[in-house]
Amino acid sequence: MSVDERKAPAPYSNPYLAGIGLGLVLLAAFVLVGRGLGASGGFSALVAGGVSAVAPAHAQRLEWLSNYLLPGTNPLQEWLLFEVVGVFAGALLSGLLAHRVRLGVDKGPRAATGLRLGMAFAGGALMAIGAALARGCTSGQALTGGSLLNLGSWVFMMMVFAGAYGLASVVRWQWR
Amino acid sequence: MIAPFLKYGAFGDQASLVVAFLIGIGFGFALERAGFGSAKKLVAQFYLTDMAVFKVMFTAIVTAMLGVTLLSWIGFLDLSLVYLTPTFLVPQIVGGLVLGAGFVVGGYCPGTSVAAAATGRLDALVLMLGALAGTLLYAEAYPLVKPLHEMTPMGAVTLPQYFNLPYGLVVLAVVLMAVGGFAGATWVERWMASQGASAPAAGRPGRGPRVNRRLAAAALVLGVVAVAAQPTRAGRVTVASDELAALAARGADQVAPTELADWIIAGRADYRLLDLRADTEFAAYRIPTAEHVPIARLLDSGLARNEKLVLYADDGVKASQAWFLMKANGYKGVYMVTGGLDGWKAQVLFPRLLDGTTGEAQRENALLRSRAARFGGTPLAAGSAAATPAAAPMPVTPSVAAPSLPGGAAKAPARKKREGC
Repeated sequence: MSVDERKAPAPYSNPYLAGIGLGLVLLAAFVLVGRGLGASGGFSALVAGGVSAVAPAHAQRLEWLSNYLLPGTNPLQEWLLFEVVGVFAGALLSGLLAHRVRLGVDKGPRAATGLRLGMAFAGGALMAIGAALARGCTSGQALTGGSLLNLGSWVFMMMVFAGAYGLASVVRWQWR
Repeated sequence: MIAPFLKYGAFGDQASLVVAFLIGIGFGFALERAGFGSAKKLVAQFYLTDMAVFKVMFTAIVTAMLGVTLLSWIGFLDLSLVYLTPTFLVPQIVGGLVLGAGFVVGGYCPGTSVAAAATGRLDALVLMLGALAGTLLYAEAYPLVKPLHEMTPMGAVTLPQYFNLPYGLVVLAVVLMAVGGFAGATWVERWMASQGASAPAAGRPGRGPRVNRRLAAAALVLGVVAVAAQPTRAGRVTVASDELAALAARGADQVAPTELADWIIAGRADYRLLDLRADTEFAAYRIPTAEHVPIARLLDSGLARNEKLVLYADDGVKASQAWFLMKANGYKGVYMVTGGLDGWKAQVLFPRLLDGTTGEAQRENALLRSRAARFGGTPLAAGSAAATPAAAPMPVTPSVAAPSLPGGAAKAPARKKREGC
């Protein structure tokens, strides 16, 4: 699709209808496989696979990744990694249908691209550490555990909002 | 009871990867529809101009929560076979704060970053690289953060269990909170707009408030129905003979008495210790922290099938029978204390000290002595032909204070692959 031909992006869905769709996908996961959605676990499996490919002996010493590196298993044959690849495909499909696939950097008009990318990298690293400590991210803990009334998930969810609201004013310049 | 399909053997692990991909497609599609492929849309939540994150997330939570509650009430879904991530309170508080900070700094959460990268957002791609770097850093630095990582284990526990409330009542409370929250969020958005704040990348409000009101009414009705619902926890699963045999062969179904002692000393609460013996025997002596569940009542004593359960009786036989009984009924995390109470006496209460003057033997002996003292026993001198452990007088059950000696926690027995995020 050339630049001239592309249509204006469609408006986003009603949040409640999108939420019901998301909830039904989550329910399907519970019913089909007895587990919920996730994202950060897919990243962990990828790192486990990467390290064991580059330095297998070193990978065996990484205790935290040991669950992904059991003898006789391939870390890349991980449920969450397949699910994350599906997320990519599903989002691409939805984006194409709604004419919302655009190459670019999401930021405020006055923020410098390099700085924004640096912030994105730092934010990603922070979230990986947070998700590792919390045994899950917004998908695996807040969404999945939230709907199962998991005690730790609800505590985690409130803390995510607290952390984000607490720091929001400091990083507002990215979006102005 | 037929669901979860995977755990009732409807398909295998390989097929479950295909299911994972398909579920991921649905997940990604829903995220993109909601506008969560845009950082500006996501972070608007934290500047109060667009509360879509809250609305979508809590609608999804309410939908799935009502779904599992009602499906398990009618006996379709066995909720106790759905994986519940164990609670570790302190690391989850810290992790939540750190992840929240990362969310507003980076603009996406891990799942939404994948959806955003798929729709061409380069910042999301960079954020994913950052997340991979952070994961690697965590894995490398794990020995340093391990004490924090493993702090305050509470096992798999739900809000209804923790606050001792009926499941359905908590479900209704969440529905009420969500619907109230949606009204509040919409009010905040309007107020911010009236203050001149532009809603970044705001979408069309959908098919109008009438649809939204109907959805809210439907959620409230289902929430009221759910009050009557007690998730069913009975049902049968097929016995995976190969898996059981493999577990038994590896000894992965066992917890050594010394390991258990270290768990008790460390105050770990992520498992339940069950004494299967008769009432009088339990009254006379029990391993500290044990709960009394006679074998005949094992299956209807309300134990959740996603809890970690450690069984013991006098010797290994009765516990093995109970272990098989529970495994055949779909209890996932069942373990036996090696050698039962006899093993506990021989290895923890009255262990035979090592003969030797090497540093290693001395260290081991010191450990044996401190453990025995802690539980009111006495080690036997090396090489002495004194009383056999079984004949030694049993100590009075000492009360063991919860979390005390730090760093004494032993490594949990090897589990199957993790199911959490």
